[in-house]
Amino acid sequence: MMNNSYGVTKEKELIEASLNGDKNAFGEIVTRYQKMVARTVKGMLGDSVFAEDIGQEVFIKLYYSLSEFRGEAKLSTYIQKIAVNLTLNEIKRRKRFFTLFSQKANDEMYAFEIADQDTEERREASEIVNKALMAMDPKFRIIVTMRMLQGYSTKETAEILNLPIGTVLSRLSRAQEQLRNILLNL
Amino acid sequence: MNTSEIKKLIISSLDASADTIEVARKLEEEGVSFNFSQNFGDRVLTKLFSAGLSVSREVEFIKYMNFAFYRIALTGVAAIVILIISIFLMEGSLSINSFLGLSDNYDESIVCLLTGN
Repeated sequence: MMNNSYGVTKEKELIEASLNGDKNAFGEIVTRYQKMVARTVKGMLGDSVFAEDIGQEVFIKLYYSLSEFRGEAKLSTYIQKIAVNLTLNEIKRRKRFFTLFSQKANDEMYAFEIADQDTEERREASEIVNKALMAMDPKFRIIVTMRMLQGYSTKETAEILNLPIGTVLSRLSRAQEQLRNILLNL
Repeated sequence: MNTSEIKKLIISSLDASADTIEVARKLEEEGVSFNFSQNFGDRVLTKLFSAGLSVSREVEFIKYMNFAFYRIALTGVAAIVILIISIFLMEGSLSINSFLGLSDNYDESIVCLLTGN
């Protein structure tokens, strides 16, 4: 189990300690941000084991790029950018793979699992969100994930996705239209 | 919350003026939550630190490969440029024949050369 002695330590100190090779400090960073990464990765890829691998990759990449983090943006934004990039790369990779080897691209690309212990109502909510997300175009899905699951504002979404605010706003309205059509059939 | 209320909530999260934090909180309350499996953090640390040496070696190897690639590519480009300039200086043109070294050879002389007559 990971050491919890870093419970209230500030981010900057955690980063410095991690850079000095303190694995418990980096463990604390993982603990603090794993849920945020899970929302992005699983929101985009579905609740599958592949998402877990990408989640691990996010933190491994973070560890090796911590020395490049200058602290100009929040650490959460930096991690979120890594998560978004790796997830979009994985979607591209899967799309290529399934286009080449499978006819049932959409069915197999985004498998998702819902925890058995949830109540019927909670499972239904989760299922609706998952199905709607997986039916969306990835470029809209990422916007929906940032807004609906992460609770980011338009400005924050634009910063994380490296897009102009105008582009985010136009994608938001197109995503809303697509989402409305998808939800009508669910 | 019933199904139609959840759908409304999802759609409203994309309004430009929506309180997205509140929407995310409500959805989480309704069971829309994403988590990695238990011991996710431990697995990340194990991957990082037990395989740390091999991963850092891999990173070093990739860095060296990139460096070597640029050096080889630049040397190659320089060699090609020198070759083109020297052909131009020697042959006075950059035709396909001059590239193939055929510009001064005539069929008769090749026949003589091959037959020995």
